[in-house]
Amino acid sequence: MEIKHTALAGTLESSDVQITLSEGKGISIDLDSQVEKQFGKQIKKVVTDLLAKYEISDVKVHVVDKGALDCTIKARLIAAIQRATDTQNEQNWGVLE
Amino acid sequence: MDTIKIDLNDPYYYQQWQKLIEEEGLYIENLDDITETIGIYDEDKLIATGSYFNNVLKYLAIDPKYQGGNVFNKLVSYLISDLASQNIFHVFVFTKTQYQSSFEYLGFKMVAQSRFSTLLETGDYSIDQYISELPKVSGNNISAIVMNANPFTLGHRYLVEEASKKSDVVYVFVVSQNASLFKTSERIELVKAGTKDLNNVVVVAGGDYMVSFVTFPSYFIKSRSDVVTYQTELDAQVFKRIAEALNITKRFVGEEPYSPTTEIYNQSLKKILIPEIVLEVLERKAVGGDIISATKVRQAISEDNLEVIRKYVPETTFDFIKTNLKDLLRRINNGN
Amino acid sequence: MERLRRTMMFVPGNNPAMIKDAGIYGADSIMFDLEDSVSLAEKDAARMLVFEALKNVDYGNSELVVRINGLDTDMGKADIYAMVKAGVEVIRLPKTETPDDVVETEKVIAEAEKFFGIENGRTHMMAAIESAEGVLNAPAIAKASDRLIGIALGAEDYVTNMKTHRYPDGAELSFARNMILHGARAAGIAAFDTVYSDVDNTEGFNHEVEIIHELGFDGKSVINPRQIPLVNAIYAPSEKEIRNAKAVLNAIEEAHKKGSGVISLHGKMVDKPVVARAERTMALAKASHLVDKEGNIYVE
Repeated sequence: MEIKHTALAGTLESSDVQITLSEGKGISIDLDSQVEKQFGKQIKKVVTDLLAKYEISDVKVHVVDKGALDCTIKARLIAAIQRATDTQNEQNWGVLE
Repeated sequence: MDTIKIDLNDPYYYQQWQKLIEEEGLYIENLDDITETIGIYDEDKLIATGSYFNNVLKYLAIDPKYQGGNVFNKLVSYLISDLASQNIFHVFVFTKTQYQSSFEYLGFKMVAQSRFSTLLETGDYSIDQYISELPKVSGNNISAIVMNANPFTLGHRYLVEEASKKSDVVYVFVVSQNASLFKTSERIELVKAGTKDLNNVVVVAGGDYMVSFVTFPSYFIKSRSDVVTYQTELDAQVFKRIAEALNITKRFVGEEPYSPTTEIYNQSLKKILIPEIVLEVLERKAVGGDIISATKVRQAISEDNLEVIRKYVPETTFDFIKTNLKDLLRRINNGN
Repeated sequence: MERLRRTMMFVPGNNPAMIKDAGIYGADSIMFDLEDSVSLAEKDAARMLVFEALKNVDYGNSELVVRINGLDTDMGKADIYAMVKAGVEVIRLPKTETPDDVVETEKVIAEAEKFFGIENGRTHMMAAIESAEGVLNAPAIAKASDRLIGIALGAEDYVTNMKTHRYPDGAELSFARNMILHGARAAGIAAFDTVYSDVDNTEGFNHEVEIIHELGFDGKSVINPRQIPLVNAIYAPSEKEIRNAKAVLNAIEEAHKKGSGVISLHGKMVDKPVVARAERTMALAKASHLVDKEGNIYVE
């Protein structure tokens, strides 16, 4: 899938994560998190795994984590992907197992 | 707690807002420079507020009893999401240096810093990306000129020519300013056209970073006499960051004997840029004792006086004005 | 046996902090809201947040309910598909006016179950009644689908529709509460009362819970975890009720042992409603930690 335009999902409130996707070459992830040392790898893995499922290979990802659960990170990334590809009300059920 | 948009034209909201803003030691500037304002309420009490103008966050204030908690995150988050819903993703904030880390905690990154303030940004673009997109040149003696060029005159041409003679390469940054009579894209094209014969001149867009410093918000500067110093020093720091990345060692500016603001600006530049970058002030070009200025050109346009215009501008600019005179007059009449 | 539904806790669907912690307060049911608590611009994001939470977060024994956006909006169908896929136990319809609203929603739910290869009928429903028309149709709404596990009063919209406000004595809700309760009981499903929004007014809240407890509601919708123990305390059976219930259940056991089909207690025959009440009382006593697993009363 291709990122059509920049999109953002999530908030900066406690237990949430704010994810901004924009057009890029290859995948680059910029992560801001207070728990980056302990969980940075895990957060990036959640992001890259889901991008792979959506077959997105060119995107710039800015993640500002406020202590979100993995499932919250996934949910926000899905919302951001749907917004960046104009598919908010058309869930990709093949991906969302 | 409820977060809502508030209408500052409604005295009911304005009074609550004004009280909170002033209690937090902020100074209310022009209300026209606010696109949208939001308020966070605890029951009927306004406990936090924030605004934006275009892509710049402004007037962030939180009741002291609610500071240090989640309210700041909620406030900034709401403003960013609201801008995102209008497809604005690259967001700036100018703030007191003491609040820099609070914004960094929310994913903002520092653009530049001076003794009065920090400029930070977040979103889908950054100063590093801007720098990486600029054409790179090599040489020992790389210089820069920053100009509004509204429009490009023989005075500008003289400045560029002098710099061109004294440098291996000259970057000409054309300031982005939507409020100008000539659109940013037109100004850039006219600078390019008017310097085409000078092989060592690179004309680039100032983008989001080379802007008119007078547009820097100063609501958080308590001592109003410091405002121009704050604006010019921060502007100089932004320039310095870009210049150093491009190995620029000299900046040329035109002399402005009659503008006190420009005088302060040049002083700030000198202070901030030294020792890495040297500031060289060139005297202004005159024709028959008459100093050339873009203001005079715009005046002549409004008077439909092509003969006067011809005196001050190179042929390339003159041709553009002549072709687009009707449109330019219409823009002037519409208040530009 | 029918499950306890003393409290149904409302959780805004776009708030990760509240979604994360919703399971720790001991609510009998948790209702994630995709409707009124979510702004229009965030409907899509809330849908995915609740979707992922349902699949990944452990909510213990709480019954999981999602209030969707109505099928008259752009979001309704996508909400249903996502929640069915996530395996939600109950889908709650907002603003139910007629039995047809239930039937229409059921169709989409069945369609979604088929689409995902999920057993037909697995997803249950409940209907919120929030208008005069809905209240008058309550008995028919309650019987509109076998999937319905209950109907609920949504008082905020209802009082607006009735051109009134909420008042401490609850007189403005009296008719609606009775209609809904009768509709639910006639259909053999649960009845839920509305929320009480003044979180700091414990006295007012308790008073309202007492009213609906006496009427016979299964439970109350709560908007703050602090309200849960208050409801539970009022729904806790008295020691006398527990002793009576135990006696009934013992009598059943006796009868089974003797191989007798007739159950009698103190020389009187015990019929079905009495057994059902005794079972419910013991379940409430266990949930309120008044008895141990075997049903022995804790002695203070």
